[in-house]
Amino acid sequence: MGGVKRHITLLVCICALYAAIILPFTRSMRSKPFAEKLGALPTVATLKFLSADQRLFVGSSLVMKVIIYFGGLTERAKNRIIIPPDYPAMSRTIHTAVKLDPYNSDAYYFAQAFLTWDARQFAIANDLLREGMKYRTWDWQLPFFIGFNYGYFLKDYRNAAHYYKKAAELSGQELYASLAGRYLQEAGQTDQAIAYLEIMAKGARNPVAKRSFFIRLTAFKRAKLVEDARDAFRKRKGRLPSSVAELVDGGFLAMAPVDPYGGEFFIAPDGSVGTTSKFAFKGSGGQSRDKGGAQQ
Amino acid sequence: MLNQVGITLKSILRDRVFHGIIFSALIFLAIPSVASLSMRQMTELSITLSLSLLSFILLLLALFLGGTHLWKDIERRYTYSVLSLPISRTTYLIGKFLGIAFFILVVACLLGLVAAGVIQFSAGIYPPERPIAWENIAAAVVFDALKYILVVATAFLFSSVGTSFFLPIFGTICIFFVGSASQQVYDYITAPATADIPLFTKKAAMVVYYLLPNYSAFDYKVNAAYGVPLDGSGLLLTLGYFVIYLLAVVVLAALLFEKREMN
Repeated sequence: MGGVKRHITLLVCICALYAAIILPFTRSMRSKPFAEKLGALPTVATLKFLSADQRLFVGSSLVMKVIIYFGGLTERAKNRIIIPPDYPAMSRTIHTAVKLDPYNSDAYYFAQAFLTWDARQFAIANDLLREGMKYRTWDWQLPFFIGFNYGYFLKDYRNAAHYYKKAAELSGQELYASLAGRYLQEAGQTDQAIAYLEIMAKGARNPVAKRSFFIRLTAFKRAKLVEDARDAFRKRKGRLPSSVAELVDGGFLAMAPVDPYGGEFFIAPDGSVGTTSKFAFKGSGGQSRDKGGAQQ
Repeated sequence: MLNQVGITLKSILRDRVFHGIIFSALIFLAIPSVASLSMRQMTELSITLSLSLLSFILLLLALFLGGTHLWKDIERRYTYSVLSLPISRTTYLIGKFLGIAFFILVVACLLGLVAAGVIQFSAGIYPPERPIAWENIAAAVVFDALKYILVVATAFLFSSVGTSFFLPIFGTICIFFVGSASQQVYDYITAPATADIPLFTKKAAMVVYYLLPNYSAFDYKVNAAYGVPLDGSGLLLTLGYFVIYLLAVVVLAALLFEKREMN
């Protein structure tokens, strides 16, 4: 009987010790850098060997890991605790994942989402998407993303039109054929970004991704408000406004639109409308460029 | 022989290891929740996870049943009593093997049905963009079962000479990993870009490729998850490869078991 009591006492003590350590332990694990959490990712050949007939599972797990990591950062960004994401590590992981499961649409969709606006790695994003097109031959979204990257970010309208045509052929949707035509005319940048984001947001089922697209969509719609006001100003006054405040003072805007990324909208000397946030939360972007990007 | 098959099946059902492994099938219930983490391929992820879990359970069953069954019988001296009856060693070995192979096939079909339920449930919540290729899923399950029957045969080959369970279990695991990667190595050494690899290395890799079972041929998970069309002639060739390779391994195992000294 005494033996049982001793065992129970010992077990209670161990449980108390466990309770004491588990919270600091969890906090320490949460704050680990992504690359550290992931550990040193083995080479693709090693992973292929080790995963044997579970390659799809390992590939999907790697994509999930990146999505969950980025999702956690988005949550923190919402509460304004901004931690710069480790884009190179995310990109390496996604590249490894598609080598194991080249059909994984999450990988391409997510890479397009973070490699472009946030990491500014347009060429890497397009290479990855082009690789995906070899496998997902039915998927119109991959040429659609490439077309968008060419047109919006790289100002390469000929390639943009080419890929939008491919998207139109695969999807049978007139919209992409029309976008291809518009790119050929080199017009309507903000409109096209809005059209693109509306499609991305509509297709997103993951709440974190959906919210991220809606934030960006809101920012672009507000930029469009400034652009419309600028056009009305120019039509009436015959010159460009010098600032957003001038549009508000002139009654062209009810109030200065708020950038959801925390930046401020401005009118550049050539009349184009931009925002100091560059349509991304503070901490995004520059880092990956400084490190030579997310290249494999 | 049918007696041996029946006795093998009964002893598997009484085995605690089997109970433990089957208990892990409860993980199937968590698949729809995990798949909901996907951004836009929930159903595809459900198929991937279901088939991966099924494959993993079959691997455990094939390793533990194939690698320990014969050894346990010899260790408990059950084999000696059976072989004192008018029954040949070959009949005994093949009876045991068929019992386990049949069991693997039945478990694969049952787990395949569970997986189909899970996939259908996920597709009900998150309708996929493309229709589910059920025939591809069925092919993936059946060929997975064939692969693990081949794993059992390999384990029997090692059991027919091994004096403990180490050789059957670890030998089979090694062959499983190498056999799963052999196609990749073959593709690599036969690519024009690798012309500078020494001829001896290439020949040695070729010998290993032809000698060891090619497990990657039985993997149709990509076709199942993403609806990639199946190649009918490829399926038939894989089936032919399975039958011939299996016969070779079982006959070799029977031959070694006949020659084995048992005191």
